[in-house]
Amino acid sequence: MRDSLRHVGSSASSLVRRHNPDYKLLMYTTILVVIGLIIIFAIGPQRANVLNESFGSNLSGTYFVIKQAVSVVIAVASFFVFAFLFKIDALLRYRQILLYVGLAACTLLFLLGNVVHVEAVTQCALGACRWFVLPGIGTFQPAELLKFGMLIFLGGFLAARMRMGLINDTEKTIVPVLALLAVAAVFVIGFQKDMGTGIALFSIVAAMLVAAGVKKEVGLVLLALTVAAGLLLIVTAPHRIDRVMTFFKGDEASVDDPSGYHIAHAKIAIGSGGVLGVGIGNSVQAAGYLPEAINDSVFAILGETFGFVGLVFILVMFYLLLMRILSFIDRLEKPEYRLVVAGVFGWIASHVVINVAAMIGLVPLTGITLPFLSFGGTSMLFIAAALGVVFQISRYTVHGHIKEVTNENSRGRRGVGRPRYASRRSTR
Amino acid sequence: MQQSRTITRSQFLAIALSIVMGLIVVRLFWMQVIQHQHYVALASEEQVKKLVIPANRGMVYAMDGDTPVPVVMNQQVYTLFADPTVVTEPERVAQVATEVAGGNLLVDDIPKVLAEGKQQKSMYRVLAKNITLRQAELIKAKKLKGIGFQKVSKRVYPEGDLAAQTIGFVNNEGRGQYGVEQQLNDRLMGKDGLLKSVTDVANVPLSIGKDNIRKDAVDGENIVLTIDRNIQSKAQEALLAGLQRSGATHGSVLVMDPRSGKVLALADFPTYNPADFTKVTDERVFRNVATTEPYEPGSVLKTYTVATGLDKGVMTADTTFYNTDKIQVEDRTITNALKGVTGTISMQTALNNSLNTGMVTIAQKLGDGSRITRGARDTIYDYFHNRFGLGERTGIEIANEQKGLLISPEDVEGNAVRYSNMAFGQGLNVTMMQVAAGFSAIINGGTYYSPTVVEGVYKNGNLNKENNSKAKPAVISAEASAAAKEMVHQARAGYTKDDLPGYYVGGKTGTSQTLENGQYISTQTIGTYLGFGGDDSSAKYVIMVQVSGKNMNLEGNKHAMPIFTDISNWLLGYYQLQPRA
Repeated sequence: MRDSLRHVGSSASSLVRRHNPDYKLLMYTTILVVIGLIIIFAIGPQRANVLNESFGSNLSGTYFVIKQAVSVVIAVASFFVFAFLFKIDALLRYRQILLYVGLAACTLLFLLGNVVHVEAVTQCALGACRWFVLPGIGTFQPAELLKFGMLIFLGGFLAARMRMGLINDTEKTIVPVLALLAVAAVFVIGFQKDMGTGIALFSIVAAMLVAAGVKKEVGLVLLALTVAAGLLLIVTAPHRIDRVMTFFKGDEASVDDPSGYHIAHAKIAIGSGGVLGVGIGNSVQAAGYLPEAINDSVFAILGETFGFVGLVFILVMFYLLLMRILSFIDRLEKPEYRLVVAGVFGWIASHVVINVAAMIGLVPLTGITLPFLSFGGTSMLFIAAALGVVFQISRYTVHGHIKEVTNENSRGRRGVGRPRYASRRSTR
Repeated sequence: MQQSRTITRSQFLAIALSIVMGLIVVRLFWMQVIQHQHYVALASEEQVKKLVIPANRGMVYAMDGDTPVPVVMNQQVYTLFADPTVVTEPERVAQVATEVAGGNLLVDDIPKVLAEGKQQKSMYRVLAKNITLRQAELIKAKKLKGIGFQKVSKRVYPEGDLAAQTIGFVNNEGRGQYGVEQQLNDRLMGKDGLLKSVTDVANVPLSIGKDNIRKDAVDGENIVLTIDRNIQSKAQEALLAGLQRSGATHGSVLVMDPRSGKVLALADFPTYNPADFTKVTDERVFRNVATTEPYEPGSVLKTYTVATGLDKGVMTADTTFYNTDKIQVEDRTITNALKGVTGTISMQTALNNSLNTGMVTIAQKLGDGSRITRGARDTIYDYFHNRFGLGERTGIEIANEQKGLLISPEDVEGNAVRYSNMAFGQGLNVTMMQVAAGFSAIINGGTYYSPTVVEGVYKNGNLNKENNSKAKPAVISAEASAAAKEMVHQARAGYTKDDLPGYYVGGKTGTSQTLENGQYISTQTIGTYLGFGGDDSSAKYVIMVQVSGKNMNLEGNKHAMPIFTDISNWLLGYYQLQPRA
């Protein structure tokens, strides 16, 4: 309380009093992370067994859950850094540097991996280099850093354009954004062959543009351009054609080709879970049948283990989290904040929707993680950072709606004298 | 303020998210609730595997006196294989494998084979076979990556080639071939068990799942043979020695107990070691000659004719006839091999000198006295076929037993000429096993025991005896049997003085021409000897010996009999029989 009082008006350009952050955000996230740890604890032994059998490695049954726990600890640290240490306004000031760092990391990966082939520090598969290898620490995916950089950069950039009333200006806004997207796409989809991250990047930008208030006409043109670009990307890459063909063949798809096999087994895992699931530790698909069981396909294993009830619970948690994030947008005065929150929404929503929809055969398969639940450090680290930023921003919400396209701070001082953290219901 | 009437931008995103989430939940409901059974079926089709739990093949025992001793055992050996895609140190693999199991290696240049395998993305390369558990443990201790073992059960033969043609072998598919291994394959194999279980992708059973079934394997029975390993090895040794003396290339010895039908030894030469069955180039080496290769045994069957005559009461040993070395049957003249013992002679003399004319005379006496009538032929067929078992399978537990051919009087070819020939052992095709079993009935008091080679089953340290021999009592009278036995004894006494004194030993020679393309040829004869031995109370053994060779004239008395004598004298000692004082 004292703390929040002291910060009243101290924020550079806002008159909104700093109040307690939104703890529900934390609650939903914690529930999801715990479920993630449980499922990895449950299938870790099977996974270790499969790897030991086929690669002669010697992993213990708790190898994965311990590694994931370490990732969670690092992610929590990252969350706190961005929730409390790095002030959002400072972060926004350094937005260009952040973006350049992200682009530079991707460039470095491309140079080391694809051009000079330094295999010691890069991890490549089939000509696609997605990972840096940090000896002794683990692997790091620079595309995630690029996502975060784009999020902060566009937050500042688009907000500036909004203030100038140039948000729908083709030359000043739309073309630069498209150019940036194109550069990012060249790295992520072109060099790293990572369609999933590419779609996530696009979703972040799309959500920000929607929140920034671009006109419907401009939006439709952008959508058309994106669809065209997406189709182009699909028809130029054989493995993507395969995946799309597999998708359209549906249940008739042969399980002999890798992507058909993957989807078929994801469906078997989910379908055989039934209403209540087979229970913790009884997953059979995790015993080597379902590829990526612990990473990108963890949703299918969750479906097998916890059944329809469990999956709906998990989806409800995601839904509540995302709606919570969305709810801040209309109650934030600074366009920067609103845009960053919208971008984080686009980030998490795209990961959840694309991952889940692929597992249940609604969209073609792409490699994309399920936030908080998939095994893997980098993805969790940056989503935690993004959530940390949202958490910090949640201190600056106001009651009620803020009129769109206005930047007046007319309600800035409402409610001084009592702590509140923005419950829309309480004002109705 | 018109914006507040329509939806805000964030509400637009919220609605979009809600629609997508709703679609996902509907889809999940479809998959997990409505289509659940369909996916469960798909899952179990893939996950539930039926694994066979292999049953252990039964062992084979022979008798050592009264104790069963193993002659075929199982050994767990291991096949060493490598997954070239996983192996990290091919040089070390090569070094360790050569050090520990150099003699078992199948490949010379292991690093090269591994490199080739890796190139072909092969995950399986056999490096060595028949590695012992100890060797496998030594290799395992080196903790090499990409190296594995497969357990394989292998037949081992502690007695080498002992009774090889009786035992047979087990082929690479695990099926018995030849001998007892083939004939009793089902009993030896046992019944494989079944494991129905949810498995992981590498077919390793998981403990998950409620429909798992486990049916344990039933191991095969341990078969105990009636073969006595001591008698068998003596028979093999005597046969080999006899063949070396005579220069014959092929020979077979059969020893059986005339009081029970139990076969005590069955030796064939040339022979082989079942452990090395793959190295045998001539299939005939696998055959058990005494049961699978019928032939014309020749004069040894005169004992049958004499026994028939004695039992029918048409003759005694002292019955005389006038021998001219010639006798007319229909349009044929039958002569003797040994000529000059002419004049009025007894049937004993005829048997001693193996005179064909004597046997034809007996056959005529079974008819109207001067012709081998249909009645005589029916009698001979009744004795030879129905009572003594010629021309029928004996039912012994050895694969591929042949029945041979004994032409019945019903047949057009079963005429007087045919039957006059049969009286001295020609014009028929019978196995040694048939002849020895019938001969046993002739000298044991008149009971026919069907021959058997299976004593019983060895289980939990106990021999559970089986009665596999069918007794057919009184095929001839006890008096006729005693008389026939004495005549055979006398017949042998005229040939040899080599028997240990004080025992009751008898035997009959046989020298038979062989048929080639349906014609008798004089350049190749098979020597046969058939006899018994024991003390005055009973005959303890019957021995039948056959020797042959391509284009060799081998004779019963010169080439087969010494082998009989060798084994017989040894057996008298082996059985510790008391000579008469």
